[in-house]
Amino acid sequence: MFTLSEDSVRQVQKTYYSSIGPMISKGAKAEKFAHDFIQEVEHSSDLKRQLEQSQRERDRFKLIASRVRELEGENNELRSALSFQKQTEFDVIASRVIRRQPHIWNSTIEINRGAGEGMGVSLCVLASNGGLVGRVSLPGDNVSSVLLITDEESQVPARVEGTPEVGLIVGQRTAHGESPKLRLTYLSKNAILKKGMNVYTDGRGKLFPANIPIGTIDEFEAGPVYGDAEITPAVDFNNLKTVFVITDVTGD
Amino acid sequence: MLSYIISLIGLLLLSCIVQQFLPPIAPWYGARVLVLPLVVLCGSVTVSTAGMLVLAFLGGFLWDSQHIIQHPTLNPAVFAPPSDSLKFGYSIILYAFMGFLMQGIRPMFQEGKWYLSAGLTGVAILLYLFAEHLLRSFVRGSLDFDNGIINQIGMTSLFTMLASPVVFWMLYRIADLCGHEISD
Repeated sequence: MFTLSEDSVRQVQKTYYSSIGPMISKGAKAEKFAHDFIQEVEHSSDLKRQLEQSQRERDRFKLIASRVRELEGENNELRSALSFQKQTEFDVIASRVIRRQPHIWNSTIEINRGAGEGMGVSLCVLASNGGLVGRVSLPGDNVSSVLLITDEESQVPARVEGTPEVGLIVGQRTAHGESPKLRLTYLSKNAILKKGMNVYTDGRGKLFPANIPIGTIDEFEAGPVYGDAEITPAVDFNNLKTVFVITDVTGD
Repeated sequence: MLSYIISLIGLLLLSCIVQQFLPPIAPWYGARVLVLPLVVLCGSVTVSTAGMLVLAFLGGFLWDSQHIIQHPTLNPAVFAPPSDSLKFGYSIILYAFMGFLMQGIRPMFQEGKWYLSAGLTGVAILLYLFAEHLLRSFVRGSLDFDNGIINQIGMTSLFTMLASPVVFWMLYRIADLCGHEISD
């Protein structure tokens, strides 16, 4: 072997390389494929990491957006409450609703003001849109119970705007979660009432001041003696958060 | 016996506080777990008739203190006749009736069949709520029995009944501590 000439060695090498050439070529392709595959896997893992991070950030932004919406709602409500407190002709105390529907049968709420802060029996309670909510039924030391006008035991003397019709607003039982309705009873059976007419307190009986919005007429039914009308309340009772208790009725 | 009754009264007062923090279960027709009536009913089966009457009196008194709404004197020329609310104390009578019902299976409870009493608490609560609703409807002169009311009463009875084993377990523990024999 050591005595082979240069040409012979070159020939041997040429033969060798021509034999393994295709394999080297295929091996190089396989190596490239493997290299590309590994890079792809690494890239996929990287993409997955980026996707997960993006999802985490999206969730975080969603949370922030939801909190912002909540704060915006709260802000609007407080603005509306402040504006109501400035504009109203009554002396009012703003109160937060701390419990809803503590009774099984009665429609009541509890507010965070008690006798020490001027709460008394039968004081009139309004919503921030000026609509009638109810009256204080039990003033405690620190909290008070409010009987809503949607309760079956509640009675509110009322009048229909633009007509001589007066009657009594009473609450109606509704299934849990449904929007409550009111009934205006003792109307004259020949009353001409149209849907959308406004109903206000009329001040009779001195329990509620006059001219507080109660709701709008939905439907009128003439009975044999009296007429009854179904009323949609002016107040959204399912979303009551802040209410105002009239402490001194100067506007009556 | 006396220490057990006093402990039961303590449990009754505690249940009054707990009741304040139990909201209606909105997806189940606004059903509630009525802890205070449950303590009265479960307690009724563990004591003598006299003890049951004491529990019924205190339970009804506390219940009405929480739930009766007093109306101011209204001008009869403006407002409808104020005959439309139940008077303070009606729950005492209802609790006593339910207590007698529970006492009816006391012998079986004493034999250790507490699960029968647990089932009966559901029936007793159901009857109690129906009776209360009927009384309220009667004094108002109208009888409303829509699906909403039936579902609310049914679900409230069911949830309250499901909580009764916990109250029975507490009563057994209290009885052990007080040395009171509530079963043979």
